[in-house]
Order: sequence, then structure tokens, then C-alpha cells
Amino acid sequence: MNTATQTGARSKVDPITLEIVNNALNSVADEMALVILRSAYSSIVRDSMDYSTALCDAQGRTIAQGLTNPVHLGGFPTMMAELVAKCGNQMREGDVYILNDPYGWGCMHLPDVFLVKPIFTDGKVQGYAGAVVHHGDVGGLAPGSMALHATEVYQEGLRIPAMKLFDAGRLNQDLLALLYANSRMPREFEGDLQAQIAACAAGERGVRALLTKYGSGPFGTIVDAIHDYAEFMARREVRQMPDGVYENVDFIDGLGEQGEPIRFQVRVTVAGDGIDIDWAGTSPQVKAAINGPIATTYSMCFMALRAAMSGDLPNCDGFSRVLTVRAPAGSIVNPVLPAACAGRGILVYRMLDVLLGAFAKIVPSRIPAAGEGGPTAISISGWRGGERWLITDGILGAWGGRADRDGVDGISNPGCNLSNQPIELLEARHPLRVEEYGFVKNSGGPGRWRGGLATTRSFRVLDEEASLTIRADRRRFLPAPLEGGWPGTPSISVIESDAGRRLLPTVPMKTLELEAQAVLRHITAGAAGFGDPLERQEALVAADVLDEKIDAEFAAEVYGVIVDARTGAIDAEATSRRRATLKDRKDLPHLQLFLRSAGLSSLGLNVPTSLDEARALP
Amino acid sequence: MAGQASYRVGVDIGGTFTDIVVATAGGELHSRKVSSTPDDYSRGMVEGVTGLLTQLGGSWRDVTELVHATTIATNTILEGKGAVTALVTTRGFRDVLEIGRLRRPNLYDLSYQKPAPLVPRRRRYEITERLGPRGEVVTALDDREIDAIVERLRAAQVEAVAISLLHSYANPDHEIRIRDRLAAELPATVFITASHDLLPEIREYERTSTTVVNAYVGPVVKRYLTLLQRRLQEAEMHGRLQIMQSNGGVISAESAIAKPASIIESGPAAGVIAAARAARLAGINDQITLDMGGTTAKAAMIEAGAPARTTEYEVGAGINISSKLVKGGGHAVKLPYIDVSEIGAGGGSIVRRDPGGLFHVGPDSAGSTPGPVCYDHGGTDVTLTDALVTLGYVNPAFIAGGEVLLKADKAREALRSTLAEPAGLDVLDAAYGIYQIAGASMMRAVKAVSTYRGRDPRDFTLFAFGGNGPLMALQIAELAEMRRVVIPPHPGVFSALGLLYSQTQHERIQTFYGLLQNIDIDQMQRRYQLLEQQVSGDLRRDGHEADEVRLQRHADLRYEGQAFELSVAVAPAKLDAALLAAVAAAFHEEHERTYGYRSLSNAVELVNIRVVGSTRVSAETGARTQSLQRRKLARGLNVASARLAYFGREHGLIETPVVDRIDLLGRELAGPLIVEEYDATCVVPPGWRVSLDELCNLTILAEAAK
Repeated sequence: MNTATQTGARSKVDPITLEIVNNALNSVADEMALVILRSAYSSIVRDSMDYSTALCDAQGRTIAQGLTNPVHLGGFPTMMAELVAKCGNQMREGDVYILNDPYGWGCMHLPDVFLVKPIFTDGKVQGYAGAVVHHGDVGGLAPGSMALHATEVYQEGLRIPAMKLFDAGRLNQDLLALLYANSRMPREFEGDLQAQIAACAAGERGVRALLTKYGSGPFGTIVDAIHDYAEFMARREVRQMPDGVYENVDFIDGLGEQGEPIRFQVRVTVAGDGIDIDWAGTSPQVKAAINGPIATTYSMCFMALRAAMSGDLPNCDGFSRVLTVRAPAGSIVNPVLPAACAGRGILVYRMLDVLLGAFAKIVPSRIPAAGEGGPTAISISGWRGGERWLITDGILGAWGGRADRDGVDGISNPGCNLSNQPIELLEARHPLRVEEYGFVKNSGGPGRWRGGLATTRSFRVLDEEASLTIRADRRRFLPAPLEGGWPGTPSISVIESDAGRRLLPTVPMKTLELEAQAVLRHITAGAAGFGDPLERQEALVAADVLDEKIDAEFAAEVYGVIVDARTGAIDAEATSRRRATLKDRKDLPHLQLFLRSAGLSSLGLNVPTSLDEARALP
Repeated sequence: MAGQASYRVGVDIGGTFTDIVVATAGGELHSRKVSSTPDDYSRGMVEGVTGLLTQLGGSWRDVTELVHATTIATNTILEGKGAVTALVTTRGFRDVLEIGRLRRPNLYDLSYQKPAPLVPRRRRYEITERLGPRGEVVTALDDREIDAIVERLRAAQVEAVAISLLHSYANPDHEIRIRDRLAAELPATVFITASHDLLPEIREYERTSTTVVNAYVGPVVKRYLTLLQRRLQEAEMHGRLQIMQSNGGVISAESAIAKPASIIESGPAAGVIAAARAARLAGINDQITLDMGGTTAKAAMIEAGAPARTTEYEVGAGINISSKLVKGGGHAVKLPYIDVSEIGAGGGSIVRRDPGGLFHVGPDSAGSTPGPVCYDHGGTDVTLTDALVTLGYVNPAFIAGGEVLLKADKAREALRSTLAEPAGLDVLDAAYGIYQIAGASMMRAVKAVSTYRGRDPRDFTLFAFGGNGPLMALQIAELAEMRRVVIPPHPGVFSALGLLYSQTQHERIQTFYGLLQNIDIDQMQRRYQLLEQQVSGDLRRDGHEADEVRLQRHADLRYEGQAFELSVAVAPAKLDAALLAAVAAAFHEEHERTYGYRSLSNAVELVNIRVVGSTRVSAETGARTQSLQRRKLARGLNVASARLAYFGREHGLIETPVVDRIDLLGRELAGPLIVEEYDATCVVPPGWRVSLDELCNLTILAEAAK
């Protein structure tokens, strides 16, 4: 087969040049990302890597992205389309645009502030270098600009339509003053913005070098060829997926004390070399800050599709040509003004779970059972010595069991690539003490391949009272198993103080007070299992007992394996008898065992006690 | 004559080959490459050195110093063959080690396996105690709990114990009490490391992981070095045995046994040290080094004569250039390293064509068996070497001076049928494309150490060595627009030379946290002095007295709230406000240089202080080597001839002169030209001129018109 026609001949670019330029562009995007990672200020950047960099072609189509965060995969395409359409003819050399508005400008949520620098040669825009960073505070109802109880975007901080931060090279000081005046953390804002400016400059430098080397005309041709190459590779992958319609439904717990479940319904249609993803049937937008503007929906669709493919393809516009995404306007996955959206994080991860669940039916060997359902976001803030302190911390994460191996204990959700904050630095900087950070015994969803364990982290507020916002999920709707595995364990947040122990809703709709010496204890959801737990290798069960990832009672009750907790010795005979009696069981004992060993039985949580109950949809 | 001889010996043991260099008292250099003996690396090494010494008419008795680089620590981790190790840590935190920093190296691969922790959960023991960030005791250590842990350690028959408690960098008391009790109660063979001894630096995961790595490789390194010492004694060597560290300094075998985590990247560090010295002698201040062998290419930056350093490193992460951005592939070891960026592209790298028609070079390697197609050992995958042979760059009859014969026609045929034809390319154009793509991917390593640090490669000289470095150097220089390339003599064993040029170096760090403007200057001065005393003690134990030692102060700083520090030098004077202001100014400058901006509105935060102590280098050793080297080279082969080599569409196939380095004495030649030597081949394309400098380095300059 002569495949030269597939990309090379059609685009008239030889494969050598294509590879070299593609490599160079990715290396520039990575360099931009490194500039931000190293020099930015906010913990969100350094620990959450909640930022991205991109290079775009003259039409604003993405040609390369820095490897940082899947949540942003869809952000640049939608934003750039608006920016080029609305401002394309007013751009001058030396301009840098700033914007964050999800409505009319294709952005994601207000804390995600984009900077875009058009790259000129010969008086013409040849491409763009852009960087988006989740800023620590852009105003709004609550410190951190992520108040879940916001009902309209107007309460969430400063909306910035595309404006020139630099006009022909001249910094707009007035605009800067306005931005800083609207942030609770102006110093961090400035530091992160500086990092973004530096990244855009690095991107411009890199692209200019390529324009000089190849000439702007040929460069454009090469970029077109990169898009075509990515499209070819993506279509080739999709052609190997079985045609069909694959549906999936999942929920988030809902908001506040008595929250209504919010429904996510997806229908993935594979037809030939194209894929359509339709969100019809998903809940309407809500009067809380968890709506996900369409850019985010694109991000998760891209992420799921990438995970379902066998190879790593260029992060460029060509790749996305295989995909159409439909989401009803006014739904929670495509909200309209004035929907609030700062806390879209919850929804992002549920979208990904639903999508991966659908793709598990298409490429079962590549998709894990559901994980913890997204990082728990915590922010604690107070005043000390006349200055406000604020920490935002993410508690992560576990992956579900897979077709040929266990899930992963202690890892970022696939939808992002977050890190954790060093406890020692956190304590050195803030009046807090972390009391515990580790895995929770008996929390991995049982299966032939076990789900990853839940993680717990607890914070003690030291001298003075502080305020807390927390955003978790997956207490009522547990992580979904695959192929006969069992669901993961619920997430739990409690405040322990002199007044006793108080269970918090998964998503409290207000800022909570933490008195001095109170302890916030959070346990993430445990990931779900893959395959029948009775088929789990006995040796793996025994190893988990020795490592205290499960206890001997759990081994016997759930896996039917009789293990000596001290030596790890397996009683083979008792095990086969036990496993025989457990065949075709319908009960679901692991959730109660988990609650009991974690000392949480008395909280009165409702957990399903049978598989049927766990599968029942509202 | 033999009785008066004295030799210094450098040995770099890699997985496949052991490189040996011997320097005579007169500065004459001799080298040899022998096969490594993985069952007992010390055997092959001692036999190899014995052979070379015998050839020189000498013996081990004449060896005054043996400097050694080894991959033993790295291999122990890669192969999972370390000690049965336990971890003792603060109650509530035994999973800090396994949770790590949670990131994965590949965003879209959901089959990812996290590297298994070096200490499984069952051997991670918690103890009731708690310190605060200023070292204050929040919960006192209950010594009786240590007894219970001793019992469990005995029952588990551990060979090594790591102790790492929260905030021990600020107050080591609890760790000391545990360490001393364990040392008293456990068999003397158990290797014990406490985190404050090794790395009293804030950040619990990195400190714990470093401590665990040290414990895990400790007994293995100890066994190996003890055996080596015995073999050397048997051979009647009375000189001192020195071990290369990842930071480019050497330490005694005894120090290496106590701190084995510091020798993880000793081989690559040696090459950079050799380059730094060679460049210094040649009057080059700023250079980027390229060390390319069969499977990887490594780059490092040397600025004002000093190699750039890093403390962000993961062992066992595999080769991954993007690890600079996305961590998670391995185990953190937060000790000082020469910043070497590695990419999986070398001579043996396999070239593939993906279904979309693009060529990719590496990271898979054909290794030495079956090896490239042209080796004719059954290899069918085309490698970079096959492309270079097809281009006429590599002489099929002159690998290792003619000891190995290559089948050029086989390489060309495989390249034609599997890559060129399907792509619709001429076979030479395809081979040249592979050469360019390999260069482009190595560019990423070059950029990682330069552009990513805010430096412009065009301001640097490219200094290339390793078996394949001189083949690729000019391609990379053209891509990076670097105008000067230097290839030292003996490029194939050049890394081992660095061992002979290294200084003894000890380094200590202490977290000293706070805003620079609020720092207690007297206390800071005392902490520096304490570190200096410790470092002097380390050097004294290695046999170096104060008068031959230089101590340097450094400070790790950042803007308040940033996550990463930059290290700047601190003048060796008594600290006062003016000196601190100078430190702050140096930080602003380095920040601007690295990241493109400085902030005057943000406070500067001090995180760590460091002291590096090293022996002074004697200046004249290099000067004496040069004439002798030149004489040695003058005796070398003269192989002047010519062959057809292809330099891309622009220049085409050219009858290219092939010369020996010695042929360049006293004259400058223009490319195209091939300089062929025993252990490497340098390809000079059209547009470059090559000459020999005083030290027999090939100096290759871009022609002015370029």
C-alpha cells in the first residue's frame, strides 16, 4: 500500500519537514508551559497545573498545546474562534489580548484568564501564542472566586471581554489597575499574569524562528499538513471502533443539604470514521455555580476520545475534525447567560465518567472502572496579623480497576493532572496542621481487579477561626464498576470539634465557619472494581491484607479468601468453600465494612446494601 | 622506570561497556574499552585496568588514585533489586511515600502503572510524635514505641531502615533518638538513614523519598564497594578509591557508602565535568555539551565554566524529556545533580514510520543484539546508524579502527524497502531525513537545558562527545544556529576522562525559611557556619585539610508564594544587611534571566541555605598534557582518503575527504569533510571550517557567510 498520498502528497509537504516542524511547535508549547510552572505564584498553578499554553495558526486553529491539563483541551479552540472572528481585523503588532468571559467569548469560567498574543510578520498575523491560567481570585462572592452558591455569573467576579492588555506594545496600566482592584489577591494576580506574558513572549519567539526559517507561506502549508496528519490518524483510529450507538447515564449528588440529583446523559455514535457525542437528556442549567460552558464540554469529549485511542496524536485542530459535539442550549453542559459556572469542576469530572463509561462499551480493554469522581476542592481562609491568608487544596484521587490490572492508589483524576501541596510548606505558611494524609483501609471497590483506595486528609485550624468552602461528590452516586465489579466507596466530609462530629453535605452551598482547633476531615470516594471479586487472585487478596489495604474480615466477606492477617497465609480449603457459598450473591457488604473500619458507621449514611439497589437509577 | 611510574585511573562502568582511562605522571593519557561483567562489575573493571597497566609496563602498586563512576545505584532501582527496606515515619503519614506527587507522565494513557514504592505499605511503620514547622514539639516522642518498632523490624528481617519524620529539617531530635536506638538494637549490618542527616530540607515527600532511595540502595552499594576495595587490596593498590557523584564532585568510597543516593547519575556527570575542564583549558566559557551513545543523547549547559545544576530529579523514571514538565515517572531524589537532559535517541535507535507517514527515531533501541541492520546480527529494524552508514558518514570498514565490519548494502536495502519506498522518497533523501529528525529530537534535550532556562543556544559553543556525538553535532548546531562546535580528543571514552579531572566535593543543605527582609542575620550566619563546619568535617574524613579546600555559600530563593526556588551564590563574607541586599539583587537578576521578568513589589523568600566544599584544582595539569597528547596523536594512523557522502538536496552527493585528526595539525580545512578516528567519526558538512586547537580539539566554525 502506498500511503504517501494519505498526508504527504495531499499537502505537498514531505514527511521529514512535517515531523521536524511538529516537533518544534510542541517543544515551544512545552517551553511556554514550563515558564508558567516555574515562575507563577499561585498554588493553583504549581500544584494543580491548572493552566495551559497553546500555539495557533493564522486562522486561530490550535496547532500545539503544552502538556498540562486536559480540562483546557477545548478552551483554546472555542475562545480563539470568537477572538479571531470579532477582533481579527483590529490587531496590531505588539498587542496582547486578555479575556475570561464564557459568554460570547468562548472562555471557561471567570478565574481562567486567557492571554493571547498575535504573531506578526510583514504586517500580517501569522499565528498566535496563548496562555490560560486559573487565577487565585478574580473577585466575586467568596475568596477564591469559586462560590458555589452564586446564582448568576455577575456574582462570580470580573467578566473580561477581549481587551488589549498591550496595545501595539504599550501596557494598558488603567486596565491592569482595574484588574488588580477587583482581586482579593492582587499580588498573586500580578505574578501569574507576568508569568503568562513571559510565556506568550517565549511562544512568539519560537514561532518567529520557524517563520524565519521556512517563510510564512510555506509555514502555513506545513501547518495545514499537520492538521491533515492529525485528522488522518484520528479517523484511522475511529474506523477501528465498532459502529454503533452507545449510551450512558450518571448523576452528581446535588447541591446543599437536600440536593436534587443532576443527570448526565450521553449518546456516543460511531459511524465510519466519525464520532458524534450528544448530551440530550442532560439536566437543565442550575442556579448554582456548577454549570459548564460549552468549552469545558468539548474538553472532556476530546479527553475521552484521546483515552479511547491507542496512540498519542498531535493536540491540534485536525484531531478534533472527527468529532461533532451536540449539547442542548440551556442545559448544564451548555448553559446560557446568566448561568454561574465558577465551580464547574464537579461537572467536568462527571462528564468524563459518563463519557468513559460509554467508551468502555466501545473499547473495553482501554477504559478503567470509575474513579473517585474528581478531586475534592477545599479552600480555607482567615485573617492573621491584619492580612488575609487563603489556601486552596485538592484532595485526590484513585483510578478504577482495569481489564488486566488493578486501579491506581493515589493519583490525579484522568480529567486533570493535579499535584498535592507539601504538608510542611502548607504548615510553614498558614496557621493549619494536617493531622493525617493517607489511604483508607477497605475503601477500594472490589473486583477481579480492585479499584484504587480512597485518600483521607484532615486539617486542624490552629489559633483562630477560619472559613471553609468544600466541594466534593460521589456520596450518593458511587463510582460505577465494570464487568461485574462492585462500586467504589462514598466520599465523606466531617467537622470534628468540641461540639462533636458533624457530617457535611457533599456540596455545602455556603461558606462554613471553622472554630479554632476544629478539624476538617475528608475522605474521597474509593474507585470501583473491574470483574467479579470472587475471581480475584488469592495472592493479591493476601498481599492487600499484609499491606493493610484491606483487613482479613474484608478478605473473607468480600473476596471469600481466608487469610491470616499476620503471616498472609491463605487457607486454601476454607477459601474454596467460602467462595462456593458466595457465588451469585446479591448483597453488597463492602460499604458497611468500610464505614465500620473507618469509624463512620454512626454517621447514619445511606449506602446501598445490594447490587440491585446500587444500580437503581432515580 | 616502572618503579617510579605513578598512574591515576578513571573507570566508568556502564551496562554494556566499561571505559578505562589512565593518566601517567607526565599527563599522558591511555584509554581502553572492555565489556562489563554484570555478575560482578568489579571483576571486569580490575581485569581491564590490570591489562592496560601491564601494557604500559606498570602495575596496580603504581596507582595513586582510582576514580570510579558506576550505574550500580540506578540499576539497583531499575531492576528492583535493593535491600528489604523499612520506613519509620510520623503517625498518620505512612502513605506520603506512596502517594507521592500524584502526577502521571502521560495525560491520556489510562493503563498507566504507578511505580511501586520502594518500601511496601506493610513495612512502613508509624510512630506517635509530631513537630511543628519551627521545630516545636507538638506531640512528644514516646521512646517506648520505638521498642515495638524494633520488634517489627526484626521480625520483618529488614536490611535497611529509612527514618523520616515531619518537620525533622527544623528539629532532628526525634529522628536522632529513633536512629540511635535502632542502631543499638538492630544488627550492625542493617543500613540506617535518617532524613535530617541526608537532606534537612522542607517538603516531606521529596525528603522521605530521597531517604528511602538511600536506604534501599545502601546495602547493595556497600557490598559492591567493599568487594571492590578488597579486590583492589588483593591487587595491591594503595592509592585512594574515589567515587563520582551526580553533582560532578567525587567523594571517598566510605562517604559513598554512607550516602549512596548521591552517586545515582555518576556516569553522565563525569562527561560534563570532562567537558567543563576541556573547555576551560580551551578558553571557552559557555557551552552546551552533547553526549551521544547507542541509546540516548544527553545535553547539559556549562556557563562561565560551571555546569548548571538541578535538584529536581526522579530515578527510575525512564528517559523522558518532558519529565521537566510532568513528574511522576519515578522516585524523587532531591540531591544536587548536574542538570543533564536525556532523550531516547542514539545510534541504535529504531526508525519507524507511522500509519500517517511520519518517521520517528527512537525511543526503542535495537541495542547491541541484534543491533542495527548493518551489524548483520539478524536485526531487521532500521536504526539511526543504518541511516548514517547509508549516507556515507560512517565508514563500514573502520568501526573501532577496523575491528568491526558493517554491511552498508544491507542497511541501505532495509532503509529503501521499509521506509523510503513506502514514503515515496529517494533512499538518500530518506536517510538524510532520518538524520535531520534525530537531530531535531536531540534539539529538545539541548533546549531543555538552555532555552527552558532562559538561555539562547546561539550564545553557546556545542561541545560534542560520546561514540555518536561527533556524527550528529553539526546537524544539531545547524538546527540551533550555534556557530562553533568543539570535539575533544578521545570522544568515545571522553566521559571517563572527567573522572581524572574531578574535585572532591561535599555539599550540605539546611532549610532556613522566611522572608529575606525579616531574616535574623546573626542566626543565618551561625547556620552557615554550622554547615561549613559539617562540610569541612566531611572533607577531612575524605583526607582533605582546610588549606586545600574552598567553601562556597549558596541560597535558594523565590518570590513569596512561588513554588520553585532559584539558587544564587552568597559571598563568603560575614553576613550583614548589605550582603543580603546583594543576594536579593542576584536573585532578581537570575529570575529575570530565567523567566523574563523581575518583580520589585513582591517580597523575596529564603527557603534553603547551602554550603558546597570542594578541593582546589591545580591549574597546570592541563597545560602539560597538551604537547604530549599532540605527540601521541602524531603517532596515530593516517587514513587520508575520500568517499561519497550525501548532504541533502542542497548539496547532494559529494566526494568527501576523510582525514585523521592529526592531518589537521597546522591547517584549516573546509567541509565537507569526515574526521575518522578509532572511537568516533566527525562529519563536517559544507559551510563549516575545521581546525585543531592547541589541545588537539577539533574546532569547527560556521563560515562567515552562513
